[in-house]
Amino acid sequence: MSEEEEILPAYSQPFLPTAVRELTSSGPLAGITPEWAWGGSTGQGVRVAVVDTGIEYDHPAVGATVRGGVVIEWDESSTEKLLYEPDDQPTDVVGHGTACAGIIHSLAPEAELYSVRVLGTNMKGRAYQFAAGVDWAVENGMDVVNLSLSTAKKDYFALFHSIADDAYFKNIMLVSAASNLDEPSMPSLYSSVFSVASHAGKDPFTYYYNPTPPVEFGAPGIDLRVAWKDHAYVTSTGNSFAAPHIAGIITLIRAKHPELTPFQIKSVLWACAANVRRVYLKN
Amino acid sequence: MSEPTDHKNNPLADEIARLVQSLAAAGKVSLLGSPDALLLSIVEAAARIFGAAAASILLVNEAEGVLEFKVAHGASNRDLVGTRIPLNQGIAGYVAMSGQPIAISDVAQDTRFNQDFAKSTGYVPRSILATPLLAGERVLGVMEVLDKINAPSFGMRDMELLSLFARQAAIAIDQAQNIENIGAAMVLSLKRLVAADAEHPSDYLLSALEVKPDAENQNDLLKLVDLLNEFSSMGEAEREAALKILTAFSEYIQHQRQVHMGASWQ
Repeated sequence: MSEEEEILPAYSQPFLPTAVRELTSSGPLAGITPEWAWGGSTGQGVRVAVVDTGIEYDHPAVGATVRGGVVIEWDESSTEKLLYEPDDQPTDVVGHGTACAGIIHSLAPEAELYSVRVLGTNMKGRAYQFAAGVDWAVENGMDVVNLSLSTAKKDYFALFHSIADDAYFKNIMLVSAASNLDEPSMPSLYSSVFSVASHAGKDPFTYYYNPTPPVEFGAPGIDLRVAWKDHAYVTSTGNSFAAPHIAGIITLIRAKHPELTPFQIKSVLWACAANVRRVYLKN
Repeated sequence: MSEPTDHKNNPLADEIARLVQSLAAAGKVSLLGSPDALLLSIVEAAARIFGAAAASILLVNEAEGVLEFKVAHGASNRDLVGTRIPLNQGIAGYVAMSGQPIAISDVAQDTRFNQDFAKSTGYVPRSILATPLLAGERVLGVMEVLDKINAPSFGMRDMELLSLFARQAAIAIDQAQNIENIGAAMVLSLKRLVAADAEHPSDYLLSALEVKPDAENQNDLLKLVDLLNEFSSMGEAEREAALKILTAFSEYIQHQRQVHMGASWQ
């Protein structure tokens, strides 16, 4: 691999081919296989929220699986400072959320997708709007929540922490992309979420476990063909696109084993990681 | 313009004249002539470093919830400067609001998509790399480079380097804005001081100090001015003390600028 190819987004260095550590599993955990975990699953019945720039509901990449959602706007005039508008046929103001939704749909084609649009126009309120989006997903019966955005604002540490803990205790899986910049990014730093960065491979089911967190999982995120606004496709790169790969796999596991809690699903993911099973695919 | 007739034997007027001169000097050092010239030199450097056909800087206008093209360099079918984009739309809006860089390329041909792109970039690029201009946790704006000349797309190395480059650019922009604000604040405060100096009225100095401060920063400026007026109303000695402090501060800022320029740019 050339030097050029070895440059990855921040937090992705543990997933370079030369850096991935082989791990050992033993006992009953060694018996957990991808076939057991998600074999035959399509994600049917699982509700997945994408907290992002929206989802283009009629984009071919998401099939006909977008069930609705919400637009959260900053509203200076109200005491709550937020305005919630139901979004039955969601749109995407950028394309980024559709890219994430498309990846989840490609892995879990029968999962139900919900758009939580939080990209607003208020610089001061942007982190609060994002927190409100995660909270909406937790309070509205979502099973898996994809968070391909983050905040570095330290003032929000406690708020995001309490929302993440709330989700954890309600058996809701928060999947959080680490920042592409070398900065602390919330909520990906918390142990209650599934934190994800990029590896350079392309196989959607090949992911790695990192024994030296904060980022625990590495999934494809480099030079990917992804869906975009206005029925388009683009090639893009970033931890943003690694997170929905893990969200998709979690959705499959959740559909097949609805009784599993976040820490159990983390154990299943650990057991099925390529560097734990020591199965490496050529990408 | 008529000759000043009333500032002889007026120590306050002498102080003011000296301060205005030093402010002008500070402005020249910090702004390379003007803020736009600084930004233009930054995007020209970015285009060259990243081998891009075009580059531009958009700055956040918080009050109106938009990004505004401040400078643009290179291929574009129209003059973008001054064009405004809502903060919740498009690639630049995403970068500003998420605080994350993004690289996209190999755009599938689609009329609607292309129109959206042309609206925000002046033409339809094959590849685009955009990164936030960050001052601490604050997003000042977005820097974009478009169409990598010798490759189909901008790579991770470009993204990493542009983020580092943007950090430098953001420091320069932030400091230029701060100096501009401090300069406007000082001139405004001096104007109020002169106006309040009933014993030595000076229309000449007042007109020389005519400034229109940036509306966004007006509140901060006024707070500062009020504070200075408070000193001024306490009496001659207090007013002179306030002026001495301002002078010292002006000298300190100039000194800091020189130290900074020495450390970062040479």
